[in-house]
Amino acid sequence: MDRREFLRTGAGVLLTGASCAYAARLLTTSVGGTAKPPGTLSKRRWGMVVDLNKCLPGCTACLDACREENNVAHHGDSRWDSHWIRKAKLKKKHGGDAAEKPVILLCNHCDKPPCAQVCPVQATYKRDDGIVIIDHHRCIGCRYCVVACPYNARYFNFKETEEWPNKDHPKRSHGVAEGCTLCAHRLDRGGSPACVEACEKAGAGALVVGDLSDPESRISRLISSNPVKRIREDLGTEPKVYYIGL
Amino acid sequence: MEIKFESIEGRSAQYYQILAVLAVMALAGLTATWYASANGLWVTGMTNRVPWGLQIVMAVYYIGLSAGSLVISGLYGVFGKLEYKPFARLAVYLATLFLLAGLLSILTDQGRLDRVFVEPFVHFNLQSMFSINPILYNGHILICIIYLWALFNEKARLTKVIATLAFGWAFCVHTGTGAIFGFGARVLYESPLLPASFVAAAMASGTALMIVMIVTLFKITKRPVDDELVLWLGRFLAVCLLVVVYFLGVENAYRVYVVELRDAALYYLFGGFHSVLFWGGLVFVGCCVPLLILFNRTVGKSVPWVLFASVLVVFGVLCERYVIVLPGLTHPPDLFPGMEISGSGIEEGIASYSISSIEVVQALGVLGVIGFLFVWGLKTFKLLPTEARVLRRS
Repeated sequence: MDRREFLRTGAGVLLTGASCAYAARLLTTSVGGTAKPPGTLSKRRWGMVVDLNKCLPGCTACLDACREENNVAHHGDSRWDSHWIRKAKLKKKHGGDAAEKPVILLCNHCDKPPCAQVCPVQATYKRDDGIVIIDHHRCIGCRYCVVACPYNARYFNFKETEEWPNKDHPKRSHGVAEGCTLCAHRLDRGGSPACVEACEKAGAGALVVGDLSDPESRISRLISSNPVKRIREDLGTEPKVYYIGL
Repeated sequence: MEIKFESIEGRSAQYYQILAVLAVMALAGLTATWYASANGLWVTGMTNRVPWGLQIVMAVYYIGLSAGSLVISGLYGVFGKLEYKPFARLAVYLATLFLLAGLLSILTDQGRLDRVFVEPFVHFNLQSMFSINPILYNGHILICIIYLWALFNEKARLTKVIATLAFGWAFCVHTGTGAIFGFGARVLYESPLLPASFVAAAMASGTALMIVMIVTLFKITKRPVDDELVLWLGRFLAVCLLVVVYFLGVENAYRVYVVELRDAALYYLFGGFHSVLFWGGLVFVGCCVPLLILFNRTVGKSVPWVLFASVLVVFGVLCERYVIVLPGLTHPPDLFPGMEISGSGIEEGIASYSISSIEVVQALGVLGVIGFLFVWGLKTFKLLPTEARVLRRS
């Protein structure tokens, strides 16, 4: 083997090795657990129970609180408004005169989130405690997550929002995707999400957030002692929002 | 057979007028993109229910055209059909430009242009089709550039190797692009057939466009081309179209047959503007009429008729791209099967979308950029042969 051949073979081996190592790293990187922001309590696994039987007709306390806490974009046009949490009415398609019932909709913080899977820059990720969150400083605004979310729980900030009620929280800027964070900033400080707090203050107590991994937690007891449903479980996304009375 | 390639003179006033028009289009597109970026993408008419619009339609269309062009170059590069060597340079150059157009269309559609050149490369996600595809696209452009270099320098061995690689790579590019939709969570997206049908439509549209380019360019630049070469491409186009029709038939029959997909299928087939594009633009204008022409014993052997059929296919596949992207978004996700939802604060039921003027200007801008590069390339590079003849065995 002459010097040139030796160098060529060596370079080839090095290049192949480096490529394989890089590919292996990429392939084994789990989208769900790449980022570990400070304050994450990794042993916990946050989830929510929505008791629709307790949801008060006409009450929008949770929606208002979310908007004020997180400065959620509201432009007065349903096409571009963001709704981190929303209240809708459900009626059977062929149910005759069956009464409508209310339903609260928000990000399901799926255990297998399609939004995180499709994000090309890993701006959307699932924290160790199960909260699916978006890094607004990384999102490029491709909107693939909005398309991939089967729950219509992802929104894109199409416009710059003028509202900024909560100065402790960043003003929403246009050009990025967003959705419910389960008020991770409050949970990390030991508090509860703004919607849950507002629902309790309104006297309904229909929203409960807690640790799904603790069998003794209030949320786990509610799930085990009530018939609960999750939205479109058949999709295999493992949503972590459970409904009573759906 | 010695094939002589000559660039065009490009000294006429018309040449510079064309360049000026294309430059103005590009500048207008740039301005529209800046306007949308500065004011927010709501100015494009896209909404939270329909977050992708014309730019994504155009992106997948251009990417498809790129594949087809490359297939024509592969006739010489891969399969050694020497009579198609005269078109190889033009085909690869067009393939490169169309891929560039696809990338520009995607680029102009991003919410944060300031991050798009950094974040995708720093925080790569191998599970996202949007991460995988840029590798395929950029790789495709790189391969095309090497391919062009090999063709310009008459490197026969390298041409064969790189043409084969480009041919295989093009299949990956278009399978990957189809997978953005086919592997998606929407009822009208989810289909393992979609990537394959995407490849078929790409080959049809690319071949059709090559026919249009060959016939018009050779005529304008007064270079002789044997009819037989164009007619063979017409027959190849007909086969591609049959595959497209087959995939369309299977995919839609499946959706109509499966009960849970039937509502969505009926919306797709008879639900509004997109259905007009499906039946009128894709099925009738883009497939039926061209097939009737191409398989006809008389007009199928006439270059003007084959040219006409090709123009219809180019239009038909544009409609096909629209009906891949938009109905899947305007059709609502079924959150509660068997239930009706109302008052949720966002658009319910079928969402509305119409192409906005900003989007049109953006699309014309991309066309202006690649048009400018193409016209400039005709003068700068030796892309066209002095003639294209059928090889006769002595």
